[in-house]
Amino acid sequence: MDLKRSIFITIIVAFLYSIVILIGKDTTQPLIILTSMIATTISVATPLTLGALCGTFCERSGVTNIGIEGMMLSAAFFGWLTSIYLNTIYHVTPLPSLLIGVFVAILTGGLLGLLHAWLSVTFKVDQIISGTVINILATGVTGFLNRQLFFEKGSIFGGNVPHAPGTLPIIAIPGLSQIPVFGKVFEQQPIAWTAIILVFVANFVLFRTRWGLRTRAVGEHPRAADTVGINVSFMRYINVIIGGCLAGLGGAYFTLESVPSFEPLMTNGRGFISLAAMIFGNWTPLGAWAAALVFGAAQAFQINLQFFRDLIPPQWAFLQQSYIVGLTPYILTMIILAGLIGRTTSPAADGTPYEK
Amino acid sequence: MDKENLKPQEPTPPEPINDSKFINIYLVPILAVVTALILGAFIIWWVGGNPLLAYKGLLQGAFGSVRALSETTVWASPYIFAGLAVAVGFKGGLFNIGGEGQLAFGAVAASWAGYALPGIFHAQIPPILHILLSVGIGMLAGAIWGGIPGYLKAKTGAHEVINTIMMNYIALNLTSFLLNGPMKDPSPSNVIARTPLIAESARIPAIFPNYRFHWGFILALALAFGVWWLLWKTRLGFEIRTTGLNPDAAKYAGIDVAKTIVIAMSLSGALAGLAGAIEVTALNYRHELGFSSGYGFDAIAIALLGKNHPLGVVLASLLFAAMRNGATKMQFLTQIPVDIISIIQALILLFVSADAIVRYIYRIRTPQERVVYTRGWGK
Amino acid sequence: MKTRLFAVLSFIVVLSMVITGCAPAAAPAAQATAAPAASAEVDCTKADSFCVGLVTDVGKVDDKSFNQSAYEGLKKAEKELGATIKYIETTDSKDYGKNIATFAENGYKVIVTVGFALGEATIAAAKQYPDVKFIGVDQSQTDVIPNLSGIIFDEDKSGYLAGVLAGLMTKSNKVGGVFATDTIPPVWRFGEGYRAGVKSVNDKAEINIVYHNDVGLDKTFVDPEWGKTTANSMMDKGVDVIFSAGGKTGNGGLIAVAGKSTADKPIYAIGVDADQYYSVPEAQKVLLSSAMKDITPAVFDNIKAVKDGTYKGGNFVGPVFLAPFHDLDSAVSADIKAKLDEVSKGLKDGSIKTNVAPTKPG
Repeated sequence: MDLKRSIFITIIVAFLYSIVILIGKDTTQPLIILTSMIATTISVATPLTLGALCGTFCERSGVTNIGIEGMMLSAAFFGWLTSIYLNTIYHVTPLPSLLIGVFVAILTGGLLGLLHAWLSVTFKVDQIISGTVINILATGVTGFLNRQLFFEKGSIFGGNVPHAPGTLPIIAIPGLSQIPVFGKVFEQQPIAWTAIILVFVANFVLFRTRWGLRTRAVGEHPRAADTVGINVSFMRYINVIIGGCLAGLGGAYFTLESVPSFEPLMTNGRGFISLAAMIFGNWTPLGAWAAALVFGAAQAFQINLQFFRDLIPPQWAFLQQSYIVGLTPYILTMIILAGLIGRTTSPAADGTPYEK
Repeated sequence: MDKENLKPQEPTPPEPINDSKFINIYLVPILAVVTALILGAFIIWWVGGNPLLAYKGLLQGAFGSVRALSETTVWASPYIFAGLAVAVGFKGGLFNIGGEGQLAFGAVAASWAGYALPGIFHAQIPPILHILLSVGIGMLAGAIWGGIPGYLKAKTGAHEVINTIMMNYIALNLTSFLLNGPMKDPSPSNVIARTPLIAESARIPAIFPNYRFHWGFILALALAFGVWWLLWKTRLGFEIRTTGLNPDAAKYAGIDVAKTIVIAMSLSGALAGLAGAIEVTALNYRHELGFSSGYGFDAIAIALLGKNHPLGVVLASLLFAAMRNGATKMQFLTQIPVDIISIIQALILLFVSADAIVRYIYRIRTPQERVVYTRGWGK
Repeated sequence: MKTRLFAVLSFIVVLSMVITGCAPAAAPAAQATAAPAASAEVDCTKADSFCVGLVTDVGKVDDKSFNQSAYEGLKKAEKELGATIKYIETTDSKDYGKNIATFAENGYKVIVTVGFALGEATIAAAKQYPDVKFIGVDQSQTDVIPNLSGIIFDEDKSGYLAGVLAGLMTKSNKVGGVFATDTIPPVWRFGEGYRAGVKSVNDKAEINIVYHNDVGLDKTFVDPEWGKTTANSMMDKGVDVIFSAGGKTGNGGLIAVAGKSTADKPIYAIGVDADQYYSVPEAQKVLLSSAMKDITPAVFDNIKAVKDGTYKGGNFVGPVFLAPFHDLDSAVSADIKAKLDEVSKGLKDGSIKTNVAPTKPG
């Protein structure tokens, strides 16, 4: 991620924050507003970051992945299912149930990654098709099972949704979280922390290790990589599976960290926003994270502005229209992409099967 | 990109149908559908449903009566338009995920033209003209909605996948704003976010009384032919396909790639906008705030299933439409969740595209040539 | 190669016959537990049958919101009145008419349609099938059709009561409301009634109301994560009572409150529609009450009325009230309880007006 991009993104986030602070400062302390907005930004950005990291790994190795949405949705469902299954049927205490649930979510994502790799690398199925199949299949399977397991009377849980084991506990950073008011920013749940750590890990792996070099070689110029003895198919398989695991962790965020319940279609298109964040971030982990934060900040802007609807000065009346404010993240993205950042370059061999 | 692909495929001269061609073009997809249905049957059976009854319901609901057939075409029309839209994009090397937004905006624009124009002109508009205006304005709105990402791609290199996704959300918000505010049906009894009914003169008349089968379906079929003709018989089509296969080669061949991208995206958007406009002028006579029916996303699957060929899109649309339409009767008979339809559709798409799996199951020889559907989003 | 192909093909045909053939044999065992309603086929065209069908709005019958509440009413009718019940889920608004007709043409005596969006399709069907009794949930009737009863609720009154409660309970003088959408009139009325209720008892209170408008209508009720994020954001600003309404999105808000409330700084949540003490057990310790709009008994009563012959067309106004305080009964002072009773009476006899329009003004 280059300097120009980071500056623009900082300015935009600061701009969004300051508008709300300016409007709301008469009734609420600026620091409280800021804290609340940052907290919202981070939690909204968590699944987007993980989804975008998934995309980055897949596409850096040359496999397009539009199935992120389906991977997250399936992982959210199966992770949650595991946790309540353990908790309700086998009476495992909440925390281990949740942790095993997270593990199963990651596994689900990884397995779908394997499916994606199998179809697109081995069978050379068009990668867009493979991703689309995963999306439709995820919608169908999770909706179908959710109904069969929880709604029908003969289901294992007796037709009721059992009491879920709750959500993952908050981890507060000692010291920092003691800061008055602002300390709240340093109280986040484990997946949110992990996502941030993984951004840096991914950045290191992709750009500072042999593995990363090989991955990028396979994504840029598979033939050349092949000639120097890199196993193109193997690299693609592993990277797509890693990507799937990351999307799976993103899925776990929805049902095990955010709210203890599953809803059909609950990922609400965030997989596609992740895809946008990945491209926006120019296929780099740091860039993708920054893009996810912009989306998070825009969401925080939208929510917080509604709190202060009555305080909005009349000349800014358009800000009272929640639908108009709702356009912010999307128009911003388009403007940044078109005017400020410009051309993004995908890995050269992205989307094309490798034929020896 | 392989060298062979630089040369756009010219229409192949008719050749005598031989066994292998028959197998490749017709038998493999049919076997794929059959395989998906068998797997679907297993799933239904596994959860305690009766697959025979379910499929009986599906067939009856889709084809069992004249009304059922008519309803299937009602479902198929927007699928065909939107599927063609995505296919045209793919042919031009562009991935249009924005069908949903283009469709919604086309519908909003067409309904505006349908109810507001007579008031603006202070005159009755002759029916044919009013219909053409409404449909035309709907198409134009879709074209603009698709054209903007196309323009941005051509001028700044901004990726059309991001921009079409963004335009979907923008359309969603703007539509909500318009239908809740300026364009809301003002009649006192109305509580729904929807436009007023369009004028009688803007309504495409029904063909048969009491059936919802409408001209939109016929137009869709005609347009499928039109798109085929455009893509394979005209210079513009040649340019779109060449740009889609290899923009660099297209540039060397003297094609204005930027212009072609804008045209292809606008055309794609116009087709999606038309899907919305026809729903308004021929079926609903107004636009109602979307419980999004997901045409834009289904259209991607349809275009891929139809291998981006207009005839394939028509067949895939009919298949999807029959399944969606038949689902009511299936659910009525068996009470299994309609999600089973999504599962079967995903499996069909999987087996049709991963034909190696089908060929392996049924021991059919693999053909020599490979078909490229999309190019991902490499350069 | 050809022969092998045909061998495989015929194998499939035989296989599919076997599957479909043995399925009915295998199915009853599974079905007996899975779906008792479907196992015993009743001929609904016969006079002695009592078949009740439900058509959902675009949404699923297991949405844990209004579609499911209405279906619970049917399940109760199945148990207590011996009704045969079935549902059809609408996947696209253009199928409303077709889905209703599927029941009507198969001899169903009662058809329940859920959601105001089905209003017009239900009226049309009621005129087309005069022998079938229709029950429209959330569908207000302007003209009385003898075979169509519209179940409606004064959500604004329910929200008003919640507002009075919130306005009196808040210590920080900051109250919040998390609502799924302002496009669906019942939800909007809950929100604005709440606003009016808070103002009526505590005009200094700062009212934070947020409607989830940035996603489609099919998503807006099922976004618990948004509900949670929004409620958290409010609590960070010092809000200490949150009314959270709108399917799973609202439930997300309730769960968020449970996560942030502490013994020395309690934060309260108010649920919606049914008594959410039971539907969101995670929020029990912070759930002050629920603004009731109980669809299930209203639907059941209407079905029962058909069976008893007391059914009549027109509007059926369902009751609105506040749910019991449950665990927090001791936290609510006697004064507040008295005030709530007074307001409740006033709303009933019309001496208190919420001044909320039936729908959001354009």
